[in-house]
Amino acid sequence: MKFNLTLKSLLLIFIIIASIFSIAIVSVIDQRVTAKLDGVLWTIPAKIYSRSLEIAEGGLINKNNLIKEFKLLSYLELKKPTEPGQFFLKGNNLKIFLRGFKKQEPAFYEIEFDFTRIKTITNQAGDRVDSIILEPMAIGGMYPSHMEDRVLLDWTQIPKRLVDILLSVEDQGFFSHYGISLRSISRAFYRNIKAANIEQGGSTITQQLAKNLFFSSEQTFKRKASEAIAALLIEFHYTKKEILLAYINDVYLAQSGSRSIHGFGLGSQHFFGTSLRNLDDHQLALLVGMLKGPSAYNPRRNPNNALKRRNIVLSVMQREALIDENALKTLQQVPIKLVKPSYRSETRYPAFHDLVRLELRNNFKDEELRTEGLSVSTNINPVLQESLEKNMILTKKELIKKYGSKLNDLEGAAIAVDIQSGEIRAVVGSSSPAQFGFNRSLNAIRSIGSLVKPFVYLTAVKNYQDYNLTTMLDDSKLSLKLSSNSKWEPNNFDKKYHGEVPLHKALWQSYNIASARLGLDLGFDAVEITMQDLGIKKEVPHYPSFFIGSFEMSPFEVIQAYQTIASDGFYSPLRSIREITDLKGNTNLRYPYVIEQRLRPEPINLIKFAMQQTFIKGTARGYSLKKINLWDAGGKTGTSDDQRDSWFVGYAGKYLVLVWLGFDDNRATPLTGRSGALQVWKNFINDIDPIPVEKTKLSRIVYAWTDLSDGLLSGPKCKGSILTPFIKGTEPSVTPDGRRNCGTSIEKNSSEVLDKLKGVFLNE
Amino acid sequence: MSKLPRKVKLIFISTVLFCITSCSSISKNAEGASIDELNEFTNSVDLLLKDKSFLKAEILKINASKPSVQRIINESDSLWKKGKLENSSKELERALRITRNESSIFLRLSLIRLEQGLKLESEGFAARGLLINGISSWERLLLNAFLQQ
Repeated sequence: MKFNLTLKSLLLIFIIIASIFSIAIVSVIDQRVTAKLDGVLWTIPAKIYSRSLEIAEGGLINKNNLIKEFKLLSYLELKKPTEPGQFFLKGNNLKIFLRGFKKQEPAFYEIEFDFTRIKTITNQAGDRVDSIILEPMAIGGMYPSHMEDRVLLDWTQIPKRLVDILLSVEDQGFFSHYGISLRSISRAFYRNIKAANIEQGGSTITQQLAKNLFFSSEQTFKRKASEAIAALLIEFHYTKKEILLAYINDVYLAQSGSRSIHGFGLGSQHFFGTSLRNLDDHQLALLVGMLKGPSAYNPRRNPNNALKRRNIVLSVMQREALIDENALKTLQQVPIKLVKPSYRSETRYPAFHDLVRLELRNNFKDEELRTEGLSVSTNINPVLQESLEKNMILTKKELIKKYGSKLNDLEGAAIAVDIQSGEIRAVVGSSSPAQFGFNRSLNAIRSIGSLVKPFVYLTAVKNYQDYNLTTMLDDSKLSLKLSSNSKWEPNNFDKKYHGEVPLHKALWQSYNIASARLGLDLGFDAVEITMQDLGIKKEVPHYPSFFIGSFEMSPFEVIQAYQTIASDGFYSPLRSIREITDLKGNTNLRYPYVIEQRLRPEPINLIKFAMQQTFIKGTARGYSLKKINLWDAGGKTGTSDDQRDSWFVGYAGKYLVLVWLGFDDNRATPLTGRSGALQVWKNFINDIDPIPVEKTKLSRIVYAWTDLSDGLLSGPKCKGSILTPFIKGTEPSVTPDGRRNCGTSIEKNSSEVLDKLKGVFLNE
Repeated sequence: MSKLPRKVKLIFISTVLFCITSCSSISKNAEGASIDELNEFTNSVDLLLKDKSFLKAEILKINASKPSVQRIINESDSLWKKGKLENSSKELERALRITRNESSIFLRLSLIRLEQGLKLESEGFAARGLLINGISSWERLLLNAFLQQ
């Protein structure tokens, strides 16, 4: 009796625990099922917008770019703008009828310019207005909860024919079963034996949909069981129509590079370049056929398999009386015709979209993004984006003309950011920027070549007691014993040795040997600290060739570091999103301007002097002194071993722009940083023509005329002298005997000197 | 506010103003200031910052040179007074897109970030503001207050 009771209670306890356990499992699966399917069925895409341009009295603007923006926004140029969406520019007078945005009603305004300055803004009544806001440009949509690009269709956009074909092949009993169907499993078994070929799978549509929810593809019993439970739950929560809709929108069809093709809508765009409703029977059959094995039956990769599979689907259609015998014969003869994978979707600027997606994923929680009808305001400037894309294509054409067809598959990446705020204005991730695909600006991890040198030299001048710009560096032959039988002997690009050279010259001439010696003197750790301050999170490798560029980074990582340099030591994380608002216009999430002083401005100022010399005398020479001064421009070229990578990073006005060119398979190019990437940079910068900026004047910087070859004091009257900045107290004090008559060496008042810099400050 | 702190404030201001006139070279010629003078200078700044409401009142008096920017700053100030720090700094960031060299904006962002508990950023905005060409000694002093903690 006692024994029985214990057994009974044990059994009871077991049953209770087991049911709690299974309830828990079921509810976990249930949550997953509803979260995922609601996302597919009910999500409205978030709309993505460019930055909206505020035109304010007293502000500065490039008129040409403004006109380009009006045109991108489809404003019409009409002599007398009378309706929203019209403008007219004559000289310094702009008349515009704005369409209105947010609080601003559609209205007519008149703007008077004083060259680049906005002098006055008046409304139709003639009253002065502080500022007006130009509506942003819609640059596409995104399903934030999926983070993938989709073409989500609603029931009315789905051809009945697709449903018929789909169900006849995949799940004939779809409208009668409860998620799992023993009948369809046995029927599939029978059919497949009879046809001696696999025509049908045993899983119902609901099961296949459930399968997508569980990411692992291992065939375990646990997974099968979860799948079955999920299938039943799906049938419990959703109608048959909804299930079918979710399946058609969500099913995995193919892989194209890093892009997964989900759903028949996107699949149709991807393979046939048109929407689903325009497809013929044989095309629909091809798509349905791919469900059996997205990789094995991919018509691009395995065209023969795909054709066979399509014809099987067509014969199933004939058996199910969807087509007659004649049609079957004709359709089976139709060859597979696909469009080139142009991936051009309705979304503009795919590389920028990648950044937005990445930022959303890194910074915001999934549930925060599930709200319907979100608007994402980004930092993209459509005029700059268009120009960067255009000039990437144009420069590649120019380079092919010059170097021949071996550059046909040259690839590229480019990023333009606002120096002060770190806002990303334009991104290109491919030499065909309009296409979706591998985004090199984020994902190409390449050897950075001489772009590493400013990090090394900055480490030196940070230590200003020991180094200044005229510290002499040794650029004679260097031979380093690495192990008992290997030596490291770096070479200069011109294969020459230059003896003793002033530090600044070694940087703008990009001498490898002097740089390697300097790096070895400073040590790996010291340079690593500088790089961390600049915003680089990678560890520095401890081999000497690192100091001349054997170090791999993505273009995005590189430009982040250079943003800190260009902004005088102030690090701001680069960001593509400004804010996210909901349907009512409330700000849900904001991505504020973050700024951190990582380095003192004085040592940065010295490096920027050398980077300016790159334009004046160095590897990027060619611009007039006047232009260089107006833009306060500076930059650095980079070329990796065997010219596999061509880099240029440079700032002009308020923009910092980085360009990379190279081949995806890392083979050698005929390009240096100067002959390749710099050309893209120049074409872009000349096109957008940045507005001049004021040079930062630092009270702790003094200027002295020094000699280009020995670094000692000289004067404005003597040849080979250059006006060089020093941190106060570190300027040289010795004037060699031969240069006593060169004029005043030290310029005491730095701001006066800076004004002088607008003229010639180099005497050769 | 009681009358005593008001007196103390006046003493601060006069010390500070004395310092500005006597060490007016500090900003331009650091070597002109002796160590004693510098210490005195930093002490006054420290004292000044201890009274945050005083600092805020002084910062709110700094105006932008462009009327269109000032209008945005006014909007930001009224949001700030209502305690809406995030919205207030959103307006200031908007102003920064129109003009970059207004110490009035950097001063406000420094204090707002400090009120938000973001000390590094507060210092960042202050240090960045100090790089603006031709700012007044008083603005320089106020900006320095954020770097002296």
